[in-house]
Amino acid sequence: MTLIVIAIIVRLGYSQFYMYEELSLKATESWQRGFPLEASRGKIYDSQQKILVDNLTTSSLIVVPSQIKDPVNTAYQLSQILECSQEKLLEKIKKKVSVERIQPEGRQLEEEKAYQIDRLKLPGVYLVQDTLRYYPHKNYLAQTLGFVGIDNQGLVGLELKYDKYLSGVNGSINYYMNAKSQNLNIYPAEYIYPTNGMDIELTIDTRVQDVVERELNNAYNTYHPDSILCLAMDPRNGKILALCSKPDFDPNDYKNADSEIYNRNLPIWKSYEPGSTFKIITFSSALNENLFDMDKDTYYDKGYEIVGGARIKSWKKGGHGLQTFREVLQNSSNPGFVEIGRRLGKDKLYQYVNDFGLTEKTNVDLTGESKGIMFSYDRFNEVEQATVAFGQGISVTPIQLVRAVSACVNGGYLYQPYIVNKIYNSKTHEVIVENKEKCIRQVIKEDTSKKVRDALEGVVTDGGGKNAYIDGYRIGGKTGTAQRAINGTYAGNGYILSFLGVAPIDDPQIVLYIAMDNPKNCVQYGGTTVAPIARKMFVDILPALGVKKVTEQREKAYVWSDVKTFDVENYIGLTKKEVKNEHYGFEFLGEGDYVIDQLPRVGEKIEEGKKVKIQLGHKVTTVDE
Amino acid sequence: MKTKRIFILTMIIVIFGLINVYSSSHVWALYKYDDSFYYLKRQAIFACIGIVAMCVTSRIDYHIYKKYYKVILLSCFLLLILVLIPGLGVVRGGSRSWFNFGLFALQPSELFKIGMIIYAAVFIEKNYYKMKSLKYGLKLLMIMGLGFLLIMLQPDFGSGVVMACSIVVMVIVSPFPFVYFVGLGVCAIIGIILMILSAPYRMERILSFLDPFQDPLGSGFQAIQALYAIGPGGLLGVGFDKSIQKHFYLPEPQTDFIFAIVAEEFGFMGGVLLIGLYLMLFKTVLRLSQNVKDLFGSLLAIGIISMIGIQTLINLGVVVGLFPVTGVTLPLMSYGGTSLTITLMSIGILINIAKDKNCVL
Repeated sequence: MTLIVIAIIVRLGYSQFYMYEELSLKATESWQRGFPLEASRGKIYDSQQKILVDNLTTSSLIVVPSQIKDPVNTAYQLSQILECSQEKLLEKIKKKVSVERIQPEGRQLEEEKAYQIDRLKLPGVYLVQDTLRYYPHKNYLAQTLGFVGIDNQGLVGLELKYDKYLSGVNGSINYYMNAKSQNLNIYPAEYIYPTNGMDIELTIDTRVQDVVERELNNAYNTYHPDSILCLAMDPRNGKILALCSKPDFDPNDYKNADSEIYNRNLPIWKSYEPGSTFKIITFSSALNENLFDMDKDTYYDKGYEIVGGARIKSWKKGGHGLQTFREVLQNSSNPGFVEIGRRLGKDKLYQYVNDFGLTEKTNVDLTGESKGIMFSYDRFNEVEQATVAFGQGISVTPIQLVRAVSACVNGGYLYQPYIVNKIYNSKTHEVIVENKEKCIRQVIKEDTSKKVRDALEGVVTDGGGKNAYIDGYRIGGKTGTAQRAINGTYAGNGYILSFLGVAPIDDPQIVLYIAMDNPKNCVQYGGTTVAPIARKMFVDILPALGVKKVTEQREKAYVWSDVKTFDVENYIGLTKKEVKNEHYGFEFLGEGDYVIDQLPRVGEKIEEGKKVKIQLGHKVTTVDE
Repeated sequence: MKTKRIFILTMIIVIFGLINVYSSSHVWALYKYDDSFYYLKRQAIFACIGIVAMCVTSRIDYHIYKKYYKVILLSCFLLLILVLIPGLGVVRGGSRSWFNFGLFALQPSELFKIGMIIYAAVFIEKNYYKMKSLKYGLKLLMIMGLGFLLIMLQPDFGSGVVMACSIVVMVIVSPFPFVYFVGLGVCAIIGIILMILSAPYRMERILSFLDPFQDPLGSGFQAIQALYAIGPGGLLGVGFDKSIQKHFYLPEPQTDFIFAIVAEEFGFMGGVLLIGLYLMLFKTVLRLSQNVKDLFGSLLAIGIISMIGIQTLINLGVVVGLFPVTGVTLPLMSYGGTSLTITLMSIGILINIAKDKNCVL
């Protein structure tokens, strides 16, 4: 008997001391009915503290099934207001749970519906505070921001990528109730306060993004391209200032959006042949290797180059003729770049493509980045080497290209691009994560970079990028026109027109890239169609960024007002002996007795004492097609 | 001196019981009868009747039971049979254990316990030396077994076990050789197995006691709810009337599981104190039984105190989770008219035995 008494007391003590915590917790769980208190999700701002993603306070419907006396009537009344199936509602109302959240029908209710429900005063039916994610600028930056699901969980874009930081911890009001789910007043309700999510500040600058969105919308409506994209980066640190894709969608109404649209953030997702914009990379690499003096050394573009038995043509019928290498870039001469590629050689070109980060993901902090496609070293032979040199046979993403070009103009430094400036506690403003610029490697020399900037300015003042020229701002850039590849072969029609601009060229603060896929009713040339868009953007962006206007800049054509200049006469077709002038000299290139080309051309200006370059050849020139 | 102590201890437990019957029942009482005091009132009335009955029995010379022991036992048997007849016996909680008399209900198994103890005391005294042989011992146990069977037909496993155990204790203290119990024990085990086979819900109950959380809404429900009351009680309890488990979580907390609410509201200290009160009562009576010169009185005291003691231990064991749920009330505490009155009457008999001039004290 004593044993049993001891056993009883020990067992009593075991339950009340050793198991105290566990049993109390479980018992409390069974006594309390928790009404959710939704945590406020972190907001997203741009670098200027302008709000991009906000929350709205709404109410949501919850029911306590055991308190509902007339489930059928309750379901009927609610279904009238919520405009949903009465049967489904009845099922939820009759569930054997302490508290049931009616969703999705009863989540984030409009004020009017919430008011109607509140007025019914149905027993066991409650409205609790809820938050609704709100994108005040609608389609603005949509693919990048992404959106959240019904439980405010990140599904796409930054909302998904940084869900861990953005999402808070929901709280609850826990009422003590008896087993018949009526309030027990002997114990006060417990408040578990929600913890709000972290706020995020992006590198996105709405002053830039505003302009980009506006111009892309205009272009999209004017040219009806399949798609259009834009990416702006600060070349000094890799900060993404703006990125945009059209067609786009409204994250407030993502359910009606096409997943192909919201899942594809084109500036980081789309991978395609960059075309001529890629020439900046080849050109910079060759300059860095001192393979030519861009103003002194020349190349004669006869309209084609034969590579591995294949004929690579210049876009201009008959070729650009004799050009300095600066002009090879300005004219975007494909045979000229075949020559630059040859001079670089397989290994160097391959190495630079790698060093510029064009064969790897940039690891930007966004979801859905693609990698691009490049030949393997083994398959990188003569033809591949030639085509890659002028931007074909390689596929890159805009962000890869923009990062690489940023390295070409910023002194040679390849940066890690990023879009999140910092993540901080919304209440205390304590910074949790802060991103700083991260240099991966130096690809080209400072000096080379300076030359590249000079050459790119030339493209805008004298070359294919003239349409981007702005009075008072020094812009550099390069146009691009690439055939669209579909499943590895070129599509019969349609081009990707692009322009890559750098400004101000003497101290680059922004690298801006625009690409338009298959625009309609326009000249299918990047310099004609896309460069003006870039120009419009720069006109508004540069003052907004506080870039000062300059009083002196290179004119659209060379004019040296302080030096006496003369018009160059025509020498083409003459023999070598006939070439004479008293004001300027001549430099003969090539072999033969006849002049087949000259530089500068007829009517252009030349300074006194300078030399006109004369390309010699045989009487019958091989210009065809 | 002894009589006073028995009386005082009994009264303390009964009053403490009334307080707890109120505390644990008023929620259900209001819900079921629209009267918070429903159970308290009835329990108080039966306590008064019981105390009067106790005073009466304490003044009736206990030797009188010896004279009428056969009549008492036979009428108890008759009641046990009558209660099984539908129309006479009323079903409550799945068992046909009650006669309904409108204002109150009578539980014949409660009467049978005391009747059987009186019979056993007389039987052992009369055949004291013959108890050494198996025959007489078995005869007594078989009479008890018949009563046990009738009780099991209701079925009221708890009362049956308590009654059987107290008779066994009486046989053990008689000259009946202990070795026979080993054999009887084997028979009992076989019997238990047969009983489980005949009613599989008993197996479920036994299993649920091992791990109540296996079937939290079925067989383990009461055990879990008892634990949810006891655990959060802690050392000092949540305070009088602060129990949450009595708010419909624990079914009928005023009966079998009243100790769970005591442990919740008064904690470990309260629980141990109450157990201490019971132990003091038992110890006083046990010492009394040893000192009674009269063999019948001594046996009767042992029988009665075994009955109350075993029932108390089984009830506490069930509530704290040591035994499977059997449906045994806590003597003097749990709500239940017949039980309280009969227990008080039996204690009255004990007091009368203590008063006997043959008692040494």
